[in-house]
Amino acid sequence: MSLLNEIEPLKQAALAELKSAADLAALDQAKGAYVGPNGKFTALMKQLGTLSKEERPAAGKLINQAKVELETALAERRSELELKAALPKEPTDFTLPGRRRPLGKLHPLTQVTEDIIRSFRKIGFVVADGPEIEDEYHCFDALNTPADHPARDLQDTFYLNTTDKQLLRTHTSSVQIRVMKKQQPPVRIIVPGRVYRRDNADATHNPTFHQIEGLYVDKNVTVGDLKGTVEFVFRELLGKDTKIRFRPHYFSYTEPSFEIDFQNALVKKLGKDWLEIAGCGMVHPQVFENVNYDPEVWTGWAFGFGIERIAMIRYGINDIRLFYENDVRFLRQF
Amino acid sequence: MKVTLNWLKQYVDFDWSPEELTERLTMLGLEVEGVEKVSGEFEGVVVAQVITKDKHPNADKLSLCRVNDGKGERQIVCGAQNFNAGDKVPLVLPGATLPPKAGEPPFTIKVGKIRGVESHGMLCSPQELGLPDDVDGLLILPADAQVGQPFAEHLGRSGSDVVYDLEITPNRPDWNSVIGIAREISAVTGNPLKIPAIELSQTSAEPISNFVDVRIEDTELCPRYTARLVRGVKVGPSPAWLRAALEKVGLRSINNVVDVTNFVMLEIGQPLHAFDYSLLSKPGDRQDACPTIVIRRAAEGEKFTTLDAKEHRLNNQILLIADETKGIALAGIMGGQNSEINDKTADVLIESAYFNPQNVRATSKRLEIRTDSSYRFERGADVGICDWASRRAAQLIVETAGGQILESSIDAYPNPVQPKELSLRHAKTCELLGIPLVPSQQVDFLQKLGLEILVRNGDEFCTVRIPTFRVDLKREIDLIEEIVRLYGIDKVPSTAPRGAIGSNPFDKVHDEIADARRILVGLGLNEAQGQTLISDSAARLTSADEQIVALANPLSSDMNVMRPSLMPGLLESLRHNLNRKNTDVALFELGRVFINDNGKPKEERRLAIALTGLRNPTFWSGTDRDAKSDIYDLKGALEEFLEHFGLRGMSYNRRTESTSLFLESATINLGKLPFGEIGQLSPALAKRYDLRDAVFLAELNFDLLIARRNTGKSFKTLPAFPSVRRDVAMLVPETVNHDAVLSVVKQTKPANLENVELFDVFRGKNIPEGQKSLAYAFTYRSPEKTLTDVEVSAAHEKLVSGFRDQLQAVVRDA
Repeated sequence: MSLLNEIEPLKQAALAELKSAADLAALDQAKGAYVGPNGKFTALMKQLGTLSKEERPAAGKLINQAKVELETALAERRSELELKAALPKEPTDFTLPGRRRPLGKLHPLTQVTEDIIRSFRKIGFVVADGPEIEDEYHCFDALNTPADHPARDLQDTFYLNTTDKQLLRTHTSSVQIRVMKKQQPPVRIIVPGRVYRRDNADATHNPTFHQIEGLYVDKNVTVGDLKGTVEFVFRELLGKDTKIRFRPHYFSYTEPSFEIDFQNALVKKLGKDWLEIAGCGMVHPQVFENVNYDPEVWTGWAFGFGIERIAMIRYGINDIRLFYENDVRFLRQF
Repeated sequence: MKVTLNWLKQYVDFDWSPEELTERLTMLGLEVEGVEKVSGEFEGVVVAQVITKDKHPNADKLSLCRVNDGKGERQIVCGAQNFNAGDKVPLVLPGATLPPKAGEPPFTIKVGKIRGVESHGMLCSPQELGLPDDVDGLLILPADAQVGQPFAEHLGRSGSDVVYDLEITPNRPDWNSVIGIAREISAVTGNPLKIPAIELSQTSAEPISNFVDVRIEDTELCPRYTARLVRGVKVGPSPAWLRAALEKVGLRSINNVVDVTNFVMLEIGQPLHAFDYSLLSKPGDRQDACPTIVIRRAAEGEKFTTLDAKEHRLNNQILLIADETKGIALAGIMGGQNSEINDKTADVLIESAYFNPQNVRATSKRLEIRTDSSYRFERGADVGICDWASRRAAQLIVETAGGQILESSIDAYPNPVQPKELSLRHAKTCELLGIPLVPSQQVDFLQKLGLEILVRNGDEFCTVRIPTFRVDLKREIDLIEEIVRLYGIDKVPSTAPRGAIGSNPFDKVHDEIADARRILVGLGLNEAQGQTLISDSAARLTSADEQIVALANPLSSDMNVMRPSLMPGLLESLRHNLNRKNTDVALFELGRVFINDNGKPKEERRLAIALTGLRNPTFWSGTDRDAKSDIYDLKGALEEFLEHFGLRGMSYNRRTESTSLFLESATINLGKLPFGEIGQLSPALAKRYDLRDAVFLAELNFDLLIARRNTGKSFKTLPAFPSVRRDVAMLVPETVNHDAVLSVVKQTKPANLENVELFDVFRGKNIPEGQKSLAYAFTYRSPEKTLTDVEVSAAHEKLVSGFRDQLQAVVRDA
């Protein structure tokens, strides 16, 4: 039988064996059997010399072609088998829960506060701050609260056990006074913070709660500006569909004063027309006089509201005490 | 304050529906807290007047009438004969139902044809209305009956009505009266306010000075006191209309005289008091003299029994109404039992006075008596209305209880209050509202509220006189408020945010706090918010008594001091969670604490972290899946936080002893500066807080962190040459800690040392007692070239001999 006729059958046999190799070891064995130093193909190549000069080029070409083909098949099979070897014994169950790297959650009150601040900052407000332990001057007198106003009562306000009648601020408005005493207008601040009222804790009261307050003082500030800003902030906060209503009201440190009600799909769902959400007004000229601003030159407005209330409305929370218990099942919901 | 729709309508005309009135009042600043509909008798029956009476075209016994029902004319067919054109009669409107007769179904009146002619309602007899009068024909009403008035009202019976519960803001005491609210409606509608005219009939010309005298000893606390006498009354039950009026707004009817004083108080806002004149004592020595009402301060310790039979001990801050021998009323608050109106009262002395609001408030608080009267005086009554209210009461007493009014009265008013005058610059209104509002309209609003215009200076300004009932109008801005209220805040257009950009140093701090919070939640900690007010025993867990800021008027012993640390609050939160089977808890809080600094309370921001339970969330595989958090989890979180927040080089110095809070703990310092502490909660405390797993706590002074924070960032070229790592494992005595190793490294300063990493601490097998094995990896790298083995060894050897010499380390072969 001629050498030329042996090439093709041998190649076919080698290909079949490579392709059927079940694992990498079998593949290596098959490789040795054909293309290794003692392999059948290697042996065939060695016989090339026995051919005649005329036969040799054609046979050499055939053998080389076959060899390339075998090597390609070998590489292909090898990567197939390597992939197979890398797979786990059992296929991965992608429905199993992953190994979590848990993130903590910001307290819902922090989240709401941050959202409010973000809205105000968009329109040029900066955050200001002041002490929680206050004196009567900053908390009441300078804010035009009459000397015998019930808010000052031991019934309603916490006082400290110190000689100089220090108290826990009942509203963030005390910061208005501190800021205005320190800087000349224009003023454009927002003040978040803890405040204190002497209420027993129940579903809607906690002796500690949070307020946020905005103050803007400049030349030619109008009631229209107050309305525009309040509407902007509450639409940002409560949704574009929110309607805002202003109602005349009374606060000692603003005149005119208003309460703010809002209306949106959420309020309707609660079966109400309007929900009260904030108080506001034009800064009372007496307050300006108290901080040595000339009320003939400067006008301004202030507004404030409770953060818990916003969070309760927004998330449908029905008990204010949940905010201060820090139950992780509660915290992780927000 | 409660008012009813029908009562309001007695003083001003308006045709708003009950719902519209709610809306209108709300937008005037009178918040409606509740609306209650009261159904009444004779629904759909009104007083009507017959205009014409003609024969029915198709029936001899019927007449065809045109009738005015108060709103318009209607045609009625009627079978009765006993009336004429001009008569006033009850008319049942179509849709209304006649009172049912026994055994018969109710009969509803409809528009229908009677003998071919339409009839729009029915004129009725008393029998048809279920009234006892026996008349053949229609019930003919008195000529002064008011056409259009609901019939029930005409009878003084309770007609259907709507009761409004209003929240009155403290600046508007004038709204604590029906007329005060009607005045607002009058201002909005432009319809006149109808204050009842008082004509005293049944008067006696005998001078009041024959009966009583008044002496005000403290005109500051009582600037005005009027006294009027009605003689010969008959005390008894009130008529139905009076009783109904009071009961609808929640007052109990007592008797006709007392009810009248209450009615007038509700009507005009002036609290009145009625004394039984016969119970006033004359001066002891002169039985022929008349009694004197003395308005004086009580004597220290004076006893007085109010008409609710409670005895009070008074002091000299309390204003007392007295006769020459005894107190008879707490001024403006409550009368005395010794002079109250009773069944036998014949002569009634009506007190109508003005008392100082602060004083009434103080007394009311001190004695814990709150009455409708004290409520009104506290907020500021109308000093100008005393006499009107007194006459009104006298008139109604005579109407309901009979008797005779003395024409003259006493009005002790030594320094009459001069009504205030205020000016309004019209341009100022426009400036503040941001809209042009013509001066004439501004003036019109003020006028409608009862302010008298004294001066009008063209378009520039006007000057107005403030009526005494408007105690809230004190300066120009208050007039502007009135204008915007009547104009309607909803009509002031909103303007988009504009103007200066704000600035405040705290703005940056706010961001730093926000940064910290974000890093901490990134570390898997949940943010907590604790109570600021905690118990003194919880505060003492972290602080000495003298550091704790206490409240003067705490609500309870659970909340009697301000937190001196965030840790007690976190422990409380852990307890809350553990009790609810949340066993794995990682919390942080960033908030203020309060420390007594030599008598001065100091506020400080702190950051605290608490860890307990499993280190990682439950997982279904792995050897250390059940690992609990330990102190190094907490320290790791702290280190990671501090690094990201911009603080390096903190040292942790172990306290040699346990503390009341911690089993083991360390202080955290930066250089010499104390920043906080970290440790494991004492097991005794853990038990007290129901905590089962070990609890780890840390607290840092956040204000200091902000002050010392370094957020500067700069780029360093990435290394271009390879590094060489050399490991060292060594046995050292237990007393040698990681810091000691690092300080040797620092001292030795081996060339090209890039990084030191501790990768193993081992005690036990093959390690002698009192020793431990530490394994470190040291990484060497030059920024300029690839280091040779020789270069690295030279540096590293120096380090290793440092360990040998300074730490008594036995270095094991690498």
